[in-house]
Amino acid sequence: MAARQPLTAVLVALLLLAAGCVGFSPTHTPRVSELASGGDDLFRASQRLVLEGLEADEHGDRPRARSRYERALQIDASNPWVYLALARHYVEAGESSRALSHLDRAEALLESQETESPGAKIHCDGLRGAALELEGDHAEARALLDSAARSAPGVWGDGELSASELR
Amino acid sequence: MLGWTALGAAFVIGFAAAAVVLDLDRQVRARFDGTRFRVPSRVYGAPAILYPGLDWRRFGLRDALARLGYREASSSQDLPPGQLVWEGSRIRVHLRAFEHPTRPEPARDIAIILRGSAISDIREVPAGRSVGAVLLEPEPLGAYYGPVREQRELVALAEVPEHLIDAVLAVEDQRFETHSGIDFRRIAGAMLANLRAGRVAQGGSTLTQQLVKNFFLTPERTVRRKLREAVMALLVEARYDKDAILEAYLNEIYLGQRGSTAVHGVGEAAHLYFGKPANRLSIAESGLIAAIIQSPNGISPYRDPVRATRRRNLVLELMKQQGRLDARGFEQARNEPLRLAAVTPETGDARFFLDLLYRQLTETYTPAQLTEEGLRIYSTLDRRLQHIASEVLRDGLQDIENRRPKLKTDDPARKLQGCLVVLRPQTGELLALVGGRDYRFSQFDRCSQARRQPGSVFKPFVYVAGLEPRDAEPTITLASFLDDSPLEIATPDGPWRPRNFDGKYHDRVGVREAIERSLNVATVRLAREVGLRNVVEVAQRLGIESPLPAVPSLALGTAEVSPLEIARAYATLASGGVRPETQAIEDVVDRGGGVLARRELRFQRVLDAGTAYLATSLLEGVAERGTAAGVRAGGLRGPIAAKTGTTDEERDLWFVGFTPDLIAVVWVGFDEPRSVGLAGSAGALPIWRRFMEESSGGTLRGAFPRPAGIERAEIAPSTGAIALRGCPEHRTEYFLPGTLPSTFCPGGDGHEAESIQRGFLRWLRDNL
Repeated sequence: MAARQPLTAVLVALLLLAAGCVGFSPTHTPRVSELASGGDDLFRASQRLVLEGLEADEHGDRPRARSRYERALQIDASNPWVYLALARHYVEAGESSRALSHLDRAEALLESQETESPGAKIHCDGLRGAALELEGDHAEARALLDSAARSAPGVWGDGELSASELR
Repeated sequence: MLGWTALGAAFVIGFAAAAVVLDLDRQVRARFDGTRFRVPSRVYGAPAILYPGLDWRRFGLRDALARLGYREASSSQDLPPGQLVWEGSRIRVHLRAFEHPTRPEPARDIAIILRGSAISDIREVPAGRSVGAVLLEPEPLGAYYGPVREQRELVALAEVPEHLIDAVLAVEDQRFETHSGIDFRRIAGAMLANLRAGRVAQGGSTLTQQLVKNFFLTPERTVRRKLREAVMALLVEARYDKDAILEAYLNEIYLGQRGSTAVHGVGEAAHLYFGKPANRLSIAESGLIAAIIQSPNGISPYRDPVRATRRRNLVLELMKQQGRLDARGFEQARNEPLRLAAVTPETGDARFFLDLLYRQLTETYTPAQLTEEGLRIYSTLDRRLQHIASEVLRDGLQDIENRRPKLKTDDPARKLQGCLVVLRPQTGELLALVGGRDYRFSQFDRCSQARRQPGSVFKPFVYVAGLEPRDAEPTITLASFLDDSPLEIATPDGPWRPRNFDGKYHDRVGVREAIERSLNVATVRLAREVGLRNVVEVAQRLGIESPLPAVPSLALGTAEVSPLEIARAYATLASGGVRPETQAIEDVVDRGGGVLARRELRFQRVLDAGTAYLATSLLEGVAERGTAAGVRAGGLRGPIAAKTGTTDEERDLWFVGFTPDLIAVVWVGFDEPRSVGLAGSAGALPIWRRFMEESSGGTLRGAFPRPAGIERAEIAPSTGAIALRGCPEHRTEYFLPGTLPSTFCPGGDGHEAESIQRGFLRWLRDNL
């Protein structure tokens, strides 16, 4: 009995540690560049165009950015990251309804392709919060933005997702 | 007395002459001060994208570059834009710049590295940096012409290179800067030359006279016409400055043909002959354009390059003699070989698409704007898919006629017809559309303008209505059974007894079997059980816009719809229940570079992703085992969901099929409905199959994604019960959350423990 007590204590400690890790450590939010080498040829080419779009957004060249995202869709219209990048683009432009429409698409694809990582979900929630903020739905927006900030303070701490943070 | 008469006559003549001059002046002002040129609007396809992994042979890279006017050079040394060199397993191509107000592309010198039939890498030259993807310029598809079929690209005088102006003046009107519209020295010289030659060998007209002739007069050679020309030339010179006259001339002058379209102006000619804008012409190229003014077809460099080069050199010589070109420039230009752009005739593949676009555009723009204002309309059309669609439809209809020679007729109005439309389901972009067999004989677009009974291709909407949870519970699951026994329905027109295609009935059939065999009676029963109004509501929600009467025969596709509507509604299923807005236009740009319209991708979730997946899964079964199984006959691999349709007396043959990337709808029939004598699976399916085989190379990409929450279970097909260990039959089936069958195979309480165990395992899978 005595021998089993330390073992139980160790197990309890490990469980607590695991719970702590799950509950409090920041979640890694994926970047498009990390995903640019996976998938098939079409996905990779599409991701390269998303990267070019994000780069254009970083430099304030919005028309070029949008054009790049649209070409990315032309190659692979099932790539959820294009819709996510477009949603971010529209949030930045203050066009909330377009942002929400693209977010729906991104979430549906992430979900159906079983690629919904916790990090991607944080981006979706954060962007939805930012879009709802623009729409004037402050309560719902605050909850989503706070949740994103808690999960990924390094990225969502300021309540925004810049093009470079997604790139 | 005589004096008064003469004075009176002189007064009358003077008055009449003054009236004529005033009228001519009015004409001159009206033309110069109003719209000088009518410039047809042009339509372009979507830009092709090259990227590593692309099968360049199947893509037709060589043809695509040729259609864009890229010319093969002998060496890659200092390769100018618009030229390419094939170097074994490498293509060096200097892509031209694409000029667009919001999404321009710079000229880009690249090397495309090939490995077998695939592009393995694309590198910038000389940096060697690998690039992910490059865009080719959008291909021109056609233009909207007014009464006259002529094309021009307007250029401002400031955009025209000095050497082009010098070349034109040197050969056509060397004293342009100093004369007042008529050059008497030139006229005298021309008369002398013509007398010596004994024929009309040289003209004496100034640029101003040529312009007046083209603007206002007919080409006849009469004294009256020449007099009017002279007076009008003087009026033009009196009212407008030399720059305005020269600019008008450079935009008006006829410079050759592109197929049946007349090419006017140096801007358009620069594109026709050299594949570049006028401001990028070299001295030698300017010389050639000036050289062919005299007789654009006779001296055409495509028809007679030697004669064209000789005349070009004469122009260069004149430029030197008149001090417009120095000796070094002359030598350099004279030694420049003739480097023409590849001939790019309008193919006419996309005429139905252009008409559809025109109908859409006239909702916003007037016909005059479209035919006169030189808009640039960038569309979503995929030139390669359009070409394949045109070919397979033409060949497919021919093949049906070969199999059923009775259908052949020489009367174009009674010929077997068909249409093929292709959409990208996720974005709703219209990628290809062929509205009929031969545009020359019939411009009626059977994809967007015809309303035909869809027959069994309507049935999936009934099954969607059945699978969609209403009041929390769906009417059916994929493990349900339907009653296919004889049925009689009372209607205002008397009793209606739906029959199956083969005339046989089945008491009880599984949902999958019912749709895979396209059973009519079971489907009508399901529609009644779900509620006909619910079926109508689902079809409309998915994208059907034509009126749908809620009558029992609706379930069998008796309400008329267009193939484009069917494509849109199936696209909603293919994109997981999110309905995209159909898009055919990317943007519209005016002559000044302003963007008049820009597309917005719009989506709306109209169906739960799970229900869309179950419907797609049913249609996958139709393509694997059912009436559409013929899609695999040619070895096509990859995910396909499809449905056949055949209406009464085989008047309409349909085939709808989609992959994760494309949806294509084929319709075959006669404009005045009569029997084709074939089912949709025999008439329309082969056309769809060939389209997919040729566009994909035989392997379709991806998979239909299964949304989270969809439960997968083994069932016993004969009972629809969950198949446990020991059950003699198994089939994998999919269910919305909470709709798993509650019976088990083998049945009995003894299996409760196993079911609990399976439930626990499923929970673990879903939650950990």
